[in-house]
Parts: sequence; structure tokens; C-alpha cells
Amino acid sequence: MTETLKGISVGLVNQEVHVRVVGRGTFQNGQPLRRYALEMIDRGVQQFIVDLGGCEGMDSTFLGVLAGMGLKLSQNGRTGQVRVASVGQRNLELLETLGLDRLFRLDQPDGKNLRYEPPPGAVFQRLPDSDLTQLNKPVDKSDTADLMLEAHDNLIRTDQRNLAKFKDLTSFLREKVDKRGGEGHKDS
Amino acid sequence: MKDFRIERDARGDVQVIRLTGSLDMYSFPRLETQINTLFQENYYAVLLDCRDLDYIGSAGLGALIGFAKQAREKGGDVKLLNVPERIFKIIELLGFTKVLQVHNTEASALASFAKG
Repeated sequence: MTETLKGISVGLVNQEVHVRVVGRGTFQNGQPLRRYALEMIDRGVQQFIVDLGGCEGMDSTFLGVLAGMGLKLSQNGRTGQVRVASVGQRNLELLETLGLDRLFRLDQPDGKNLRYEPPPGAVFQRLPDSDLTQLNKPVDKSDTADLMLEAHDNLIRTDQRNLAKFKDLTSFLREKVDKRGGEGHKDS
Repeated sequence: MKDFRIERDARGDVQVIRLTGSLDMYSFPRLETQINTLFQENYYAVLLDCRDLDYIGSAGLGALIGFAKQAREKGGDVKLLNVPERIFKIIELLGFTKVLQVHNTEASALASFAKG
């Protein structure tokens, strides 16, 4: 068993990416996961297992990053998926509220929350800048707005009912991102 | 982590909502219900006292913009008071301070409502 690190740790075993979220998953540490996941998907990885056993909560941006992974794994002929393990009641409610329980495979058969154990030999490494308690460099403003917009668009693509929930946020962010584009990225 | 709590108080026509704990996707529906109740009672001047707020998520912030917009259409507003520095940094970073007024004292917040 590897040491549990605060933040987001990842391990690649048998062409499956194991993601462990310890602490909170938020817009502040969603970007490192998004970048890593996109790189792995580009390399042909089709299965992601996200362990939420140590996850104290997720904001909508982080959930939108996970949704983006699920959507990308199921488009352009891909047949991959995101499996979410050790969900817990609180996080399950979040996933259900946003309709993500239909996009992900949840390890919660018959209402039982199975405790996830990584495969033997799995070596986890923490993604840089993913431990919120250790963040010491300023978050990039433009990068964050882009991430939040993409993440919430993913949530709306996953379930149209999310449009009502996030329309004010996405229109605010879109205006901000469009304005920045028009100004030649002065804001970045 | 503190339990999320909402306490309602009034200063004249301004409804003061004191928030304690984490305002995340799990707790946000409670605030949503509270604000919708205020609107139904025709209170559109709402001040959210955030001094005991530990955390605010992106969805919560986004929804506050929507509430502020609704309140402004009725001549009121939703404003923030006593925002802890680490939360203020996030609000500022995301540009929300351009659309949500943030006050450091109750007196300045109440005065801003009085000015309309």
C-alpha cells in the first residue's frame, strides 16, 4: 500500500489510470488533473478509476473536469469510461444532482459503498500543484476562467438540466473569455 | 470543517444573512432556498455576511451573480460583507468583484443600499 498524499495522485497500471483524490477537488486543482488526463487519453488510455475515498468534497469545476474526461473517452469511436470508486453518500448525491451518475460507472452496487483498493504494485505520484494546502504560486486568471467555462460546459453537455443551474456562471465566464480574446489576451 | 449554517437578521429593509461553514454544492441549495424565500417575501436588498465562511465553490459564486441580477431587476441587490481574505482572493481572481459588491463593514454596505 502506498502512502496517501493530500491532493491528486495518479498511477498507471495495465493501461488503466488510477486517480486518488484526497482532500477537496476544486477549480484550483482541477487543471493538473485535466492536463494529465488529456495526455493519457491521447496516449490511448481508455480506463480511468477515480478513488474518492479520501475526497472531502468537489466543486462544480472539478466535477466538470471529470465529466470532460468521461465525455472525451466516449466520443470519436472511443469506448472508454471513468469508473468512480469509494464514492460515499455525500459525493454520490453531488454526482446524481448533476446527472454524472449516468456518465460514470459507479462502484456502488446495491447501495453498498465498496472500499476501493488499488491493484498490487500501483505506484502513485502526486500531480504538481494539486494539494490545495501547499499551493504557493498564484493561480493564472485566464487559465482559471477557461477551465471553469469548459468544465461547466461539460456539465451542461452531460445533462441539459444543468443549464439552468450554471447559465449565469457560464454567460459571465464566456463574456470574460470572449472579451479577453478580443483584447488580444491582455488579461493573461 | 464547520457545519453549514444560515442565520437571518434584518437591518431596516436590508436582510442580513450570516453564513457559517462551507458553501459548496452540497450546502448551496439551502442558501438558494433562503434567498428565494426572501424574494418571495419581496425583500430584494440582501447582504451576505461571510465572516465565518470557510469556503465557497465556483457554482455558488456563479449562482450569486444570478441572484444579484434578479434582485437588481427589482431595485435591490445581493452584496457580500466581511469576506475572508482567502475567499476574497478567489472572488477577485475570477473577476466576480466586477459584478458583486463586497464591503468590509456593515455600515458601508448598509449605506450603499440606502444610496440605491
